[in-house]
Amino acid sequence: MQPLLSIRDLSLEFNTFDGTYQAIDRVSLELNPGEALGLVGETGCGKSVLTRAAFGLVPSPPARITSGSVLFQGREILGLSPREQRAMRGRDVALIFQDPMTFINPVFKVGTQLVDAIRAQQLGKVTRKAARDIALNMLDKVQLPNPVRQFESYPHQLSGGMRQRVLIAMALTAEPKLLIADEPTTALDVTIQAQILDLIERLVQDMGISLIMISHDLGVVSQVCSRVAVMYAGQIVEDAPVAQIFDSPAHPYTKGLLAAVPHPFRPEDRLDGIPGSLPNLYNPHTGCRFAERCPLAINRCVEARVAQTFVGPQHMVACTACEGAQIDA
Amino acid sequence: MRESSPSVPMLELENLRVHFPTKSAVVRAVDDISLKLYPGEILGLVGESGSGKSTVGKAALRLIDSTDGKIKINGSDITKASGKELKSVRTKAQLIFQDPHSSLNPRMTIGKIVAEPLLIHSRQRGSELAETVSKLLGRVGLPRQFLHRYPHELSGGQKQRVAIARALSVDPDMLILDEPTSALDVSVQAQILEFLKELHDERQRMTSLFISHNLAVVRFLCHRIAVMYLGRIVEEGPVEQVFSNPQHPYTKALLSAVPLPQAERNAGRIHLQGDLPSPVNVPTGCAFHPRCPQAEAGKCDSETPHWVTVGQSRARCHFAGEDLGPDFGGDVE
Repeated sequence: MQPLLSIRDLSLEFNTFDGTYQAIDRVSLELNPGEALGLVGETGCGKSVLTRAAFGLVPSPPARITSGSVLFQGREILGLSPREQRAMRGRDVALIFQDPMTFINPVFKVGTQLVDAIRAQQLGKVTRKAARDIALNMLDKVQLPNPVRQFESYPHQLSGGMRQRVLIAMALTAEPKLLIADEPTTALDVTIQAQILDLIERLVQDMGISLIMISHDLGVVSQVCSRVAVMYAGQIVEDAPVAQIFDSPAHPYTKGLLAAVPHPFRPEDRLDGIPGSLPNLYNPHTGCRFAERCPLAINRCVEARVAQTFVGPQHMVACTACEGAQIDA
Repeated sequence: MRESSPSVPMLELENLRVHFPTKSAVVRAVDDISLKLYPGEILGLVGESGSGKSTVGKAALRLIDSTDGKIKINGSDITKASGKELKSVRTKAQLIFQDPHSSLNPRMTIGKIVAEPLLIHSRQRGSELAETVSKLLGRVGLPRQFLHRYPHELSGGQKQRVAIARALSVDPDMLILDEPTSALDVSVQAQILEFLKELHDERQRMTSLFISHNLAVVRFLCHRIAVMYLGRIVEEGPVEQVFSNPQHPYTKALLSAVPLPQAERNAGRIHLQGDLPSPVNVPTGCAFHPRCPQAEAGKCDSETPHWVTVGQSRARCHFAGEDLGPDFGGDVE
């Protein structure tokens, strides 16, 4: 099966006044059609930049892609012209973000924006009337209460959960192949978050869309995704099916993340934070970027590039300590 | 957990109401809340955005004026206190906010920020003051060199430690923590939570009101929990009991909505319909009835429920204490 999206050896740096910030370091990631992948990591690990850079959404300069390739449906998309990239976004790939208010224009009615988005996605081949019907149909699918009335509302008249539904509707009307959801529920309350997660999961399955869900919350990702890739400081340190990430995490950073999260139904005496802080990415060494905070680190971790090891079926880990556990994959 | 000693509560709220009049209507942010915090206790106040939990925290220290009700700190009524009296209250109780970036003055050095409360509340000056400040920084695990740095040079977790050092500078008996870890990454959140736990272990009288929307964090840190919905407390009790045997349907729904950090998905998630109603137009009867899966017409929409005591906790629901529906707390220990 040909992967829908294949990122190979992608590196990206930002030119700043302080020097070159090496945000993404030789990242490889594959996504099969219909798969739901969670991309997890803490602030500044590069999870948002990675997905945006792949689809030409990181302005260059200051960003510069220094190596790698991105294949979407088998086609190289890194060198595409802005015009071609624009045509791809919205139709083949759709994005939704954390704070819906930032991505909806506050001075236009919800309906107007939906209609405009649909007409842009269809390259102007639908009439306003037809676009309105598509939009109302989609609002119904995302279970927005009173779609006809909300069509005439301004964004500020909607609650956070309703705005996120509108954004999801806008993203999915073109029936894209891939949906990238960047922390879609972080700004929402837990009960609303549960509604939105269920909605995303159901729509993605019904419409056969592949999903990349970016989140800092392993709990959120486990609700929707079947596979999780863990990022740290611009590198992917572990990539495995959800069950393996939770039941047999292999990378010390993944273990640290899991030990840091309190469980709502399990009494715990202590939480283990991860000591130290993010490394300086202006002049990083070539090895594992977690080495400075890692309890298992040895000299070799920082000296050479860490190889990818498969420690289980589809379970990749980039850790020197795991190199002995390689299985035949 | 800790026995509620016969001592005087550190914080007592009696029928507290905070209403904000607007041009067209009255926003009932806090509506008839009574709470007692005993010395040594950590009470988690949880609820969704707009439930009024932060308003309770601010009103408890008189940063917002209450409309009705009484506020007592360590036995003394401060509801009408002014000037000098309020100044002494601030040495007993301190607030820590969610976003340390906006609660620290960007134009002051860390040293000055931490020293400011001491300049107001103590007679320490000069080298004595400098000594205290560097001790406070050490207390929260920050190196001395930070004294001369500015907030923008620090990470989020470090800034929150500075905010805690500033709060601890006047040696308070009570902390009101308003979502202190919500802006932080989980690994940093774990460090701050561990620190707060140690602080309570060291100082027996330290009392905290921990305001949060994160139930897992409350489960870890707090002894008791109070759940707010639309300006009212709907359930209150020891953390273990409320989490294992919630009585109010809203508490049940909240608990079932928490995404669990585990491979198995939540079993029996309860779906709440719609959003939080506006506190301008609070539903009649039980405020939760329009979203409640168990609401009974003719009862829940007209009669305000009273407190029902179940074990050591109590809930404001007509059906509390009766066995209703599947007990989804059971399958997760």
